[in-house]
Amino acid sequence: MTEALKRDWWKWLLCVWFVATIWAAFYYAPTAQGFKGESARIVFFHVPQAWVAVLAFCVNLIASVRYLRGRNPADDARAAASARLGLVFSALATITGSFFAHVMWGSFWNWDPREVSIAILLLVYAAYFALREAIPDEERRSSLSAAYAVLAFVTMPFLVFVVPRIYWSLHPDTIISKSGAVKSQMDPRMLVVLLASLAGFTWLFFWLYNLDVRLTRVLRTRREREES
Amino acid sequence: MPVAESLVWVAAVTTVIWLGLFAYCLALDRRVRRLEEER
Repeated sequence: MTEALKRDWWKWLLCVWFVATIWAAFYYAPTAQGFKGESARIVFFHVPQAWVAVLAFCVNLIASVRYLRGRNPADDARAAASARLGLVFSALATITGSFFAHVMWGSFWNWDPREVSIAILLLVYAAYFALREAIPDEERRSSLSAAYAVLAFVTMPFLVFVVPRIYWSLHPDTIISKSGAVKSQMDPRMLVVLLASLAGFTWLFFWLYNLDVRLTRVLRTRREREES
Repeated sequence: MPVAESLVWVAAVTTVIWLGLFAYCLALDRRVRRLEEER
């Protein structure tokens, strides 16, 4: 076994895992009744993307609180990396959701409470990066963005979990069964594929997060070396 | 087009997108490692 393969085996395993999950999502999982065509299969990608976005915003909160307590620049890098990934995965969940909306409800955007709340969440975390870009001083930028991230996180559970459940929504319930009935047991084959996809996306998130943090550290060291 | 045939296309395109993303991540990973070694 070569050195690179020894080091990167888990990445190749992730590659195979995702390919198997994609094909299982289309061929192993049965067609859900009560949805137009095969549109319900998007659940195997849309739900894990939304889950990873929530996970990323939780990591952002932890890193931001740690930064405010210890003023360690590494925590600021962790907070920025997780917010960046949270924003990307929120955008992906919005895009995949709008494809589903187009098939099911005839329009990409329906001003549904879930759509509006995810759009507000995207704006809240986009503002986090606007704030970071607006402050040239590194320490001040890190402090203010960490404080903002704590406040931004307060809106996240409200926008993701509370608002869509208060108002009537077109959005399917969180559980889709083969028979199409809501709040019933999901078909076991669908559940297996969904869990495999959730595991794959979580794995991918931590890989990307690790890459982002390491890249920020390397670039920071290089900048400090050039300045001195 | 029969449903099964269109599903093959969707699955194939999704796989290609994933493989592209994976290749990019792998290349970025190697670049970061090289930069760390240089440091």
